[in-house]
Amino acid sequence: MSAKVKTMERKGASFSEKIYFVEIFRGMATTFGHFWKNLLDNSKLYVRHYPEVEPEIPVRWRGRHRLTSHDDGTVKCVACFMCQTNCPANCIAIEAGERLDGKAEKMPATFTIDLLECIYCGYCVEACPLDAIRMDTGIYSVTDNNRESFVLGLEELLQTPGAFSEEEYKKGGA
Amino acid sequence: MSLLDIILVAVRVAFAAFIPLCFIAVCVWMERRGAGFFQDRAGPNRANIFGFRAAGLVQNLADGAKLFFKEDVISDHIKHKFYFVLAPLIVFFAALVSFAVVPFADTLVLNGKSYIMQGIPIDIGILWFLALAGFGVYGIILAGWSSRNKYGLLGGVRSAAQVISYEIPMGLAIVSLLVVYGTVNLNEMAQFQGKLLFGFIPMWGIILQPLGFMIFLIAAFAETNRTPFDLAEGESEIVAGFHVEYSAMKFAIFFMGEYIAMFASSAIIVTLYFGGYQIPFLATDTLISYAKPIAFLLMLGLPAGMYFFAGWIRRNNVSHYPRENDPRVYEANIYIKCFWGLVIVLELFLFALLLCQSEGSAAHIFVVLLQVSTFLLKVTMMIFVYIWVRWTLPRFRYDQLQKLGWQVLLPLALLNIFITGAIVVALS
Repeated sequence: MSAKVKTMERKGASFSEKIYFVEIFRGMATTFGHFWKNLLDNSKLYVRHYPEVEPEIPVRWRGRHRLTSHDDGTVKCVACFMCQTNCPANCIAIEAGERLDGKAEKMPATFTIDLLECIYCGYCVEACPLDAIRMDTGIYSVTDNNRESFVLGLEELLQTPGAFSEEEYKKGGA
Repeated sequence: MSLLDIILVAVRVAFAAFIPLCFIAVCVWMERRGAGFFQDRAGPNRANIFGFRAAGLVQNLADGAKLFFKEDVISDHIKHKFYFVLAPLIVFFAALVSFAVVPFADTLVLNGKSYIMQGIPIDIGILWFLALAGFGVYGIILAGWSSRNKYGLLGGVRSAAQVISYEIPMGLAIVSLLVVYGTVNLNEMAQFQGKLLFGFIPMWGIILQPLGFMIFLIAAFAETNRTPFDLAEGESEIVAGFHVEYSAMKFAIFFMGEYIAMFASSAIIVTLYFGGYQIPFLATDTLISYAKPIAFLLMLGLPAGMYFFAGWIRRNNVSHYPRENDPRVYEANIYIKCFWGLVIVLELFLFALLLCQSEGSAAHIFVVLLQVSTFLLKVTMMIFVYIWVRWTLPRFRYDQLQKLGWQVLLPLALLNIFITGAIVVALS
């Protein structure tokens, strides 16, 4: 099989292109068309009116993190440190503690994520063997006035609900 | 000096000083909203005072307040702090003062005395503008040098080289214009352009000197450091060039100086090539003798224009998403009422003029106001051309810039002088 060769036409060599003016006026006609159309009727601008109209978040979108729990409300995380080890930004800090509910041997005593360090790469979700950490909250706007509120603790991570149903999430290929 | 003399001096100095400052806000607004519309987006339209956004003009206040209250940093590595602070001021004042010689209306005759309608009543006109436009670049060079920073210095050096290349074609384009007009006084040039060519074409500079106009326009873009010649601040190559070390109000003064330079340069282009304050086909004498019919036509035209303008506001000042009790509709109604109020005030003024018995001073003042409005309208359109070009053309590469200046514009400008001279000699 021979490779397909596509010869690109080189522009800018002809006389009318070399004296710039013809091409400049053509370009300016194009931009003025856009300007005039939008000036007369600004309803067709390619913009989302953001704070009022929110974007649709797809299932695979990596939003703020959350920790999942079993049906009986116990935390799925077993403090295996996979996510913390994998994290390229070093934003996860786990302290393991003894687990007394019989599900496993360990559970996180503290689980903090520093959102100011996080780069939202999703490696923690990939690394987790128990599907205990997810980024499916659909929260894309993380803002506050002080640094402390960006450090999420175990309780906060557990309480945040997921934005999608279980089937949707599984179908999303996570 | 009588009281009238003093008032008129104050008025014309105030006009020359404050109109450029007012136009900073208009320019920035036009630039940002215009850029938005050129690129199919909205531009700044959220900043408001009690829900009134004034089509985005309130954003200027917010930006101004922000720049005003920012910390004014002068880095420790800057040795010559005096020059560092002086540089933006040179840019700003050179641009502001260069507007002072531009006539914004024809000579006003009141009680047999004539008053020149320009900031500084001197005859050197275009030479003053050339000198000060060139002087503004010293500020940029000084800023680049005193920043003690390689990007700043590169920006300053680029600016210097660019000015050397483009002042010459600009000067030569003006030389051929002087051959045609036979004067350096800008007011006489504008009066010259009030005449008609072959009896039906306005004798504007652009019609007498099309090639000279193109050369002057390109050189003026280069002179004001606007795209496609804004290599002094090419942010992709040298970060921000000469103003990389500047912050807060020092940067804001650079920024405002750039827009004043754009305004002054538009005013000069309009005066030299687009008839200045002249309304096409209506020279000053005609205007004065037909003041009342023109006022009557304006009285008819204003409400008609306002009707369509109100429709445009009502169509466009709405939220383009489902929203209950859309506050923008309320906002639009207020704007429309304000504009109708303005129209009514203008109508009353025009009506007073119609009732006025004396053909003398009222008509003269009316004509001056008409010419000032024409002048500002033309300048605004020229500023729009600046903005339009900025959001259409990419930046020149540096060697292409020099090549265009020396190898294309300079020979063309010389050729233009030769042709102009030949025609003028042949006709006289």
